[in-house]
Amino acid sequence: MKFVWRIVDVVVGGVFVYAGALKVLDPIQFGLDIDNYKSLPWFVSVRLAFYFPWLEILCGLAVIFHVRYRGGLSILSALTLIFIGATIAAKTRGLDITCGCFGHASQKWSFPQHMALDLAILIGLVALWFATRLRRATL
Amino acid sequence: MKLRFLREGLILVALAALPAIGEGIYFRDKVSWQSSIPASELVIVDQARSWGDGALWVDARPDDDFAKDHVPGAFSLNEDRWNELLPQFLPNWSPDKKVIVYCSAESCNAARDVAKRLRDEAQLKDVFVLQGGWEEWVKKNR
Repeated sequence: MKFVWRIVDVVVGGVFVYAGALKVLDPIQFGLDIDNYKSLPWFVSVRLAFYFPWLEILCGLAVIFHVRYRGGLSILSALTLIFIGATIAAKTRGLDITCGCFGHASQKWSFPQHMALDLAILIGLVALWFATRLRRATL
Repeated sequence: MKLRFLREGLILVALAALPAIGEGIYFRDKVSWQSSIPASELVIVDQARSWGDGALWVDARPDDDFAKDHVPGAFSLNEDRWNELLPQFLPNWSPDKKVIVYCSAESCNAARDVAKRLRDEAQLKDVFVLQGGWEEWVKKNR
């Protein structure tokens, strides 16, 4: 069973490392993607565009290599929840947004596709939380 | 012990700032920190009008808005029908002409996005975004 959870660790962490790496390569485009949500002023969006991808990469690596594991898991869960909330809010405001979560690759994704992926990631993160608690309880 | 995840999280939050700052320094001259459109890519209504026939106007708003009213002589070019409208627009362009893209108002992003695609995909030079968009144009032309 432990082996299965390690695979989930690597898959979930790997998704964030991959997503972060794509955005690190083009922070300006990611800034424009954040700006499309029309929730934050540009000077905040552009700074977050430089920061968030590195946070994703670092937390993804933390989950993969089990270093600061719970910290990484908490931040990735929070980021995913924030992102789901922002996407739903943008949709209800009628904004036609491109999430930019996976750089150019995700620009053509529909709203249901975005949500499906986000929920799958969230389920993975929640499962890892439970697995951690389970492991602690059995020790 | 219970707050371990918080302590670990804070460490990761702090650590991520280091490469982010480094990348920000690397990009400092390539990014506009105060506005999503660099000042050099913006044009005000009066200046745009002074270019006269040397400018091509591009309306990045949806078809319905364009049909209601638009800048005289403007071409409709929005992202919804990009592949269809771009070939209609391009034959009118020549290297000596400036392109002015506008959308509804200051807050819209369509003009910025269309201008970017004209530069990146169509390789056009001298592409500007009209400051204040259609709203500002109407105000100045009342």
